Amino acid sequence: MNLTLGIFVVILLITLGITYWAAKRTSTTADFYAVDSQLTAAQNGFALAGDWCSAAAFLGFTGLTALYGMDGAFYALGPLVAFCTVLFLIAEPMRNTGKYTLGDIIRSRMQTRTSLLAAIAGTVVVNFAYLMPQMAGAGVLVRLLTGISYDWAVIFVGVSMIVYVAFGGMLATTWVQIVKAVLMLSAGAIILVMILSMIHFNPLTLFADAEQKYGVKYLLPGNYLKNPFDQISLGLGYTLGLAGLPHVMTRFYTVPDAKTARRSVVWVMFLAGAFFAGTTLFGLAAANLVGQDVLRAADKGGNLTLPLLAQYLGGGKGSLGGDLMLGFVAAVAVATILAVVSALTLSTSGAIAHDFYVNWVKGGRVEGRQEVWLARVTAVVIGVLAIALGILAQGVNVAVLVILAICVAASANFPVLILSLFWRRFNTGGVVGGMAVGLVSSVVLAMIGPAMRGADALWPLVNPTVVSLPLGFLGAVLGTLMWGRDAENEQRFDAFLLQVHTGVASK
Amino acid sequence: MARNGASPEAAHASVKRLIAEKLRFLVPMTIIFMVGYIGLTALAGFAKDLMGTKVVGSVNLGFTLIAFNYLLSWLLAIVYGRIAADRFDPLAAKAASETIDRG
Repeated sequence: MNLTLGIFVVILLITLGITYWAAKRTSTTADFYAVDSQLTAAQNGFALAGDWCSAAAFLGFTGLTALYGMDGAFYALGPLVAFCTVLFLIAEPMRNTGKYTLGDIIRSRMQTRTSLLAAIAGTVVVNFAYLMPQMAGAGVLVRLLTGISYDWAVIFVGVSMIVYVAFGGMLATTWVQIVKAVLMLSAGAIILVMILSMIHFNPLTLFADAEQKYGVKYLLPGNYLKNPFDQISLGLGYTLGLAGLPHVMTRFYTVPDAKTARRSVVWVMFLAGAFFAGTTLFGLAAANLVGQDVLRAADKGGNLTLPLLAQYLGGGKGSLGGDLMLGFVAAVAVATILAVVSALTLSTSGAIAHDFYVNWVKGGRVEGRQEVWLARVTAVVIGVLAIALGILAQGVNVAVLVILAICVAASANFPVLILSLFWRRFNTGGVVGGMAVGLVSSVVLAMIGPAMRGADALWPLVNPTVVSLPLGFLGAVLGTLMWGRDAENEQRFDAFLLQVHTGVASK
Repeated sequence: MARNGASPEAAHASVKRLIAEKLRFLVPMTIIFMVGYIGLTALAGFAKDLMGTKVVGSVNLGFTLIAFNYLLSWLLAIVYGRIAADRFDPLAAKAASETIDRG
């Protein structure tokens, strides 16, 4: 395991070097939250790939495929399809309308304090629900890979993330994501070539071997997601939830215009999509070569499948090649967590410092230099909170939080965002109604479902999106109708549309 | 005053044309990927046997449709990029110029 530690220390030194470089170039609020909108499409595309492929994707999809067959491939496909929604409906309007946060869009559409508060709630709940399992996962992973204790592992990850964000802002976060994406894609490419060379470059062999070893049922759907509605919930959660994840969507503020935002989505679709497709092949190969029993013995959920596969391909346990491959993949996994938690911290600090303090409490009347300082301090506070939550989460089943994050994003943030952009009559009542109903129904249904209560579940679905998403839309529509007509808001909609579709703010 | 036709009203009318043009392409494209993907998850949930039909060697219909969805997403991304550059961007530029010319 010392090799893993060595490779990881190298990656850490690189990211700290980046942060030092980025800190010198981060002085204004626009620098801190959005790299002053100076990134190219390729840079943002790589950063999006680094941001969007969390450890759940990197380690989880491979493990799910290895242990459960086709359901793992469904998990891997969803995050790519999700970008179709973002490309068609969200990316360009986001770039044209907002500045630093999701709340900016709601604020510029409604121009009311109440709607801003609802938007802040949506961002903070989603981000913390996403952040906590990432911290807990980081603790388990770093402990497993380096041998330090869980608490120290969480503290170590948390402190690194605070340093990146507080000093280097979005610029450091972006380059940590880019470095991680390049490492992840290289690891994927190396593993893919090694697998293919073993099976004479005929991927069909993977399926034939898996069928022979584990039977026909292994390649059928439903081995992991037993309830058919859970399959559909998963699909809906992905395709519409991504568009409601603030830490990914704020990446579109880092490019100069809508055309660049669009091109960066195409980049991420090819980069991340290729990697996701790869995880399905890696999973099958791991089941064939390493074997499900070994994978299960290492981690019940199969989360160590990819590192173990890499070790096998490198020459097996104890060989130099095996240790080197294992160390490389493990270090990339930790880099993955660092990239994702940094983005979450930055995005949450935007919701608290920019949306809540500057715009809600102070009505926008805060001096530029003071706002940057506030943002940095807020990032530190959120980081410390994340460390505390991560330590508290040890041994707690945090799987429900992962589901909750994507479910709230799809059921609360997405309806409010999409109706803000496209419905003239949508008003403050609708924002509050959509957020409240989407949030509450997601939280309640996830808490009484099998992910939290196991066999005592009061309701059958692990992932409630299939129900909570329509409820969120219903809440938004009813809220709008109950609020009554808002003539001024509807008149302003023409000017808002002009900005949404052209990027020009009319006077 | 502005040059010929440049006014908030003209800009808003141009935006309406742009939105109509966007809807003409984006509605069918959104339906295609939603039906493709959500339909696939529905089949996985309710038609397990159908998904197990062998297509090539041990690869069954389910994995074939998954592969098809990857290709479809990539194809739609490229098609969208083309359509946006050819059709949406000129209309957006027109609407923007009508606002900026004002005054």
